[in-house]
Amino acid sequence: MDSVLFQGLIGLSMAMYLWLISAGLTIIFGVLRIVNFAHGSLYMVGAYLAFTFYGLLGWPFWLAIVLSLLGTGLLGFVMERGFLRRIYGIEEAYQLLLTFGFILILDDLVKIVWGGVFKIPQIPAFLDGAWPVFGRPFPVYNTFIIGIGVLVAVGLWALFEKTWWGRTVRATASDREMANAIGINVPRVFSGVFVFGSMLAALGGALGTPVRVVAPGIGATMIIQAFIITVIGGLGNLKGAFVSSLIVGILSAYGTLFFPVFELFFIFVIMAVVLLVRPQGLFAG
Amino acid sequence: MKRGIGIFSALLFLTLVLLPAPPAVAQCQLGVPAIKIGVQGAASGPHADYGRQIEMGATMALEEINAAGGILGCKIEIKFMDDENKAATGVKNARYLVTEWGAHFMVGTDSSGVAMAMGPVLAELKRIHFFTHAATHRLTEELVADKKIKEIVRVSVPVYQDAIVAALIFKDRPEIKRWATIGADYEYGVVAWNMFKETLKRYRPDVEFVGAAWAPFLTLDFSPHVSAVMAQKPDAIFSTPWAGEAVMLIRQALIQGVFDQIQAWWQAMGGSVDVLEGISSEVQRDRFKGKLWATARYIHNWPDTPENRAWVERFKKRWVRLPNYSAETTYSSLFIIKAAVEKSRSLDTAKVIEGLKGMQIKNPGGLRVFRSEDQQFVYNVPAGRVVMDPKYPIPVLGDLKIFDAKDYYRHPPFTPVAATK
Repeated sequence: MDSVLFQGLIGLSMAMYLWLISAGLTIIFGVLRIVNFAHGSLYMVGAYLAFTFYGLLGWPFWLAIVLSLLGTGLLGFVMERGFLRRIYGIEEAYQLLLTFGFILILDDLVKIVWGGVFKIPQIPAFLDGAWPVFGRPFPVYNTFIIGIGVLVAVGLWALFEKTWWGRTVRATASDREMANAIGINVPRVFSGVFVFGSMLAALGGALGTPVRVVAPGIGATMIIQAFIITVIGGLGNLKGAFVSSLIVGILSAYGTLFFPVFELFFIFVIMAVVLLVRPQGLFAG
Repeated sequence: MKRGIGIFSALLFLTLVLLPAPPAVAQCQLGVPAIKIGVQGAASGPHADYGRQIEMGATMALEEINAAGGILGCKIEIKFMDDENKAATGVKNARYLVTEWGAHFMVGTDSSGVAMAMGPVLAELKRIHFFTHAATHRLTEELVADKKIKEIVRVSVPVYQDAIVAALIFKDRPEIKRWATIGADYEYGVVAWNMFKETLKRYRPDVEFVGAAWAPFLTLDFSPHVSAVMAQKPDAIFSTPWAGEAVMLIRQALIQGVFDQIQAWWQAMGGSVDVLEGISSEVQRDRFKGKLWATARYIHNWPDTPENRAWVERFKKRWVRLPNYSAETTYSSLFIIKAAVEKSRSLDTAKVIEGLKGMQIKNPGGLRVFRSEDQQFVYNVPAGRVVMDPKYPIPVLGDLKIFDAKDYYRHPPFTPVAATK
């Protein structure tokens, strides 16, 4: 029994990475109506920037995370203002082409800047080690990730429900023409939301740096998982993204424990089952 | 007068016909502008250092061979391509290298999955590929010995080293009874684990195989795999993810306190330079408590011969890195090509294969002997514990366990090993 609970807790920490990346993806879709396939690449850029400040330059981990968020946010700003803005009015196929193009460009760009070889810096001393949970050592780092994930969830709820900016964003999401008519600067909201979503992706990437791997191509892996999660949760629905991150993270961990042979397609089975029962996703409509 | 014309004509003849020949430069005796060798490896993602090392090994061999006059007077050219660790890309690259670029030979390839997909295509392209890392036994046992695809030659030691050497070492550890695997979820991880189980069971009927967790390529977090197998309370772990994924896995296992709970962790290919660099600080702090065992297809600190030491020095000077095994196996492949072409005096596949027969060649990694039945080069590599050695900036394999190659290579005729999970 203890090992089942322990596995669930490990799954919960996996879920939090998924949550951080899918939160940004779903917010951007909810407001801009853009499926940003390059969102995983923003996760990757966030990881590389954090690696540069923390692993290469040896700056404090917290500072590296903040700088990585700012840097990736700036990249998001350039992407939105310079490129995405031009295709809002036209067919979705162009969004796909443009954002997919960004995946290739950013993958090659990180190869040129940081080289093709993987990077894994040291774990910060204050996050190293483990404590006993259900009779087994549970990593401090995974506990930290769970904490950050929950904080971000609460923070996002407060931001969208309790602040003026949140209300503006929700108004723009539900009817952009009406929002425009009542004096909301819609293009500015779009930029703000895209930058914010990019920073959430970067947060996931930056937090993973000391325990995961930083390498070209990780963005493509992440976007597949994040996309599945937003589809399960209902595209554009933040609560849905949180719940489906938990479902996918925890069930995948149990899949590894109980059905190791099916590891490769377990996440797709979860998606298929949810879509069979609720084609619009868990929380949409 | 007539005689004068005769002399003049003779001089003219000599001037026109003989002098234009390039003075003193050896001409390619095979009638090609250059011998072209296509090189492939994984050069992006967590496994990228392997492709990089393959490229470094090939480049160094090219420089040395060309500086010494080439092969039968022919310069060699190489073209490196990233196979992205994907079967489709490897096959596509092979087709491009042969049909468009005009490769006479190919070398490299990291993943067994890529190698198995390329095998039948090589027969169609009629070009020999010298495999320098891909390790599934099926490449040589099935595709060569059984299906007679003569275009496959393997220069690196196959999965025998990862699986059978591990069994030979741990059969003598009676306290280790419960084994679990964290496996790379493809051909290589599956056959390594099955071969290990089959071999160990023969020596130690008392051992149990208590758990398995399988991780596909590009797994970014092994925490669920580690906790899943640790739930079975194993005495030892047999682990096959490699390169950057091995580093990540071992470090994620460390923070789950795995090394306090087990007796041994066998990391197949953990003797790879990129892995040793990645876990250097943990080894320095002795966080594995001497329980981390690893193997490789060549290690730079063995054999302790003047040839190997000199090669490692040249490599360090050229690339400012220690050579990984994929560098040594690829470097050696080019010298094997040189020896075979010089013997057969041809670039024709069938004749070069004839030229390989009976070959015994000294490489940095020691003596390699060509085995015709499965076209596998047989040579020896030890396994050992991951330790620090003051002579090197990064950890090395120490406490070496050296077995005779004949004791851990499988021999024809081959009996099948289970290839499913």
